[in-house]
Amino acid sequence: MTLQKWQAQGLLKPHKTSPKEIAELLAAADQDLADCETPGLSAGWRLNIAYNAALRCATAALAACGYRPAHSESHHWRTIQSLAHTLGLDAAVVRQLDGFRKKRNVSAYDRIGTVSDHEAAEMAALAKDLRMNVERWLREHHSDLL
Amino acid sequence: MKTAIDWLFPPVRKRLLALLLGRPDARWHLRDIGRQTGLALGTVRRELAGLVQAEIVTAAKDGNRTYYQANRASPLFPELAGLMRKTAGLANCLREALLPLADKIKVAFLHGSQVGGGAAAASDVDVLVVGKATFAEVTSALSPYQERLGREINPTVYPKEEFRRKVAAGHHFLLTVLKEPKVFLVGDEDDLAEVAGPGSAEAP
Repeated sequence: MTLQKWQAQGLLKPHKTSPKEIAELLAAADQDLADCETPGLSAGWRLNIAYNAALRCATAALAACGYRPAHSESHHWRTIQSLAHTLGLDAAVVRQLDGFRKKRNVSAYDRIGTVSDHEAAEMAALAKDLRMNVERWLREHHSDLL
Repeated sequence: MKTAIDWLFPPVRKRLLALLLGRPDARWHLRDIGRQTGLALGTVRRELAGLVQAEIVTAAKDGNRTYYQANRASPLFPELAGLMRKTAGLANCLREALLPLADKIKVAFLHGSQVGGGAAAASDVDVLVVGKATFAEVTSALSPYQERLGREINPTVYPKEEFRRKVAAGHHFLLTVLKEPKVFLVGDEDDLAEVAGPGSAEAP
């Protein structure tokens, strides 16, 4: 329901996906998850890459439901919030992801070095969970796309 | 337990001052104040009348509405705003927010523009936390207060070992934060010196 409402408000656009697109998004998420383990990266950059993986998973779920975010300032926020309505992700996990989204903005634009290694590892664990989650969900609800 | 501010001000006055002086750039209608503080309108009206008379708060008519705002021109403004900031305002709210995580936090404090006093009403709140708590736990604890305060809260969470190691390595952000003024939410200056280790003393 919420997704339809967002579309009516112009926040989401209808989108026709394909097994190929879903496979590409998941492969890109896997690549990000592997890249964020590269030794020697800063905590901020690792967080950024892992966040990217999570965003791709959320985008894949949204695409499977027939939507993509409209380009706007808040499209990252919207994509993350949509996880509650695609995968049925717990509000606390959505909040956590959104916390990392904000942290990524702050550390990229305002202040360098506001990310701890521990936070980067937490973001990576979260993204890995989400990656498994989205695949399980696709198998259950959109097996035609796998 | 009563805190210092509870001894200094009756509860209604404390809440009004915390709201108005905590966000001096905002102007408020009576009903907004009632909603934000959870106080009855009659109570708010009575208290505001006193604060306006004392010139701590200004009242301005706009159409048929009256808007209330902290009076920056009051000679008491800087001290009073500082007092609220340290006690009933932001810091107290966040202290309350972190209370459930008390066992997992060695030290936590506000830093950045909020603390210097020159902060705009809408500016973000930077919180540094050192301890066993995770970013997820801290974010969850703070998020309801983010709504209440009408501010974005940006926590940075460090385990003690990582914090100490990065301070010793001369991490720019951490050394800057150590030098900046701060308002402690959990622990104090001594606890911070303890977690920061000897590296902090050598900070240029």
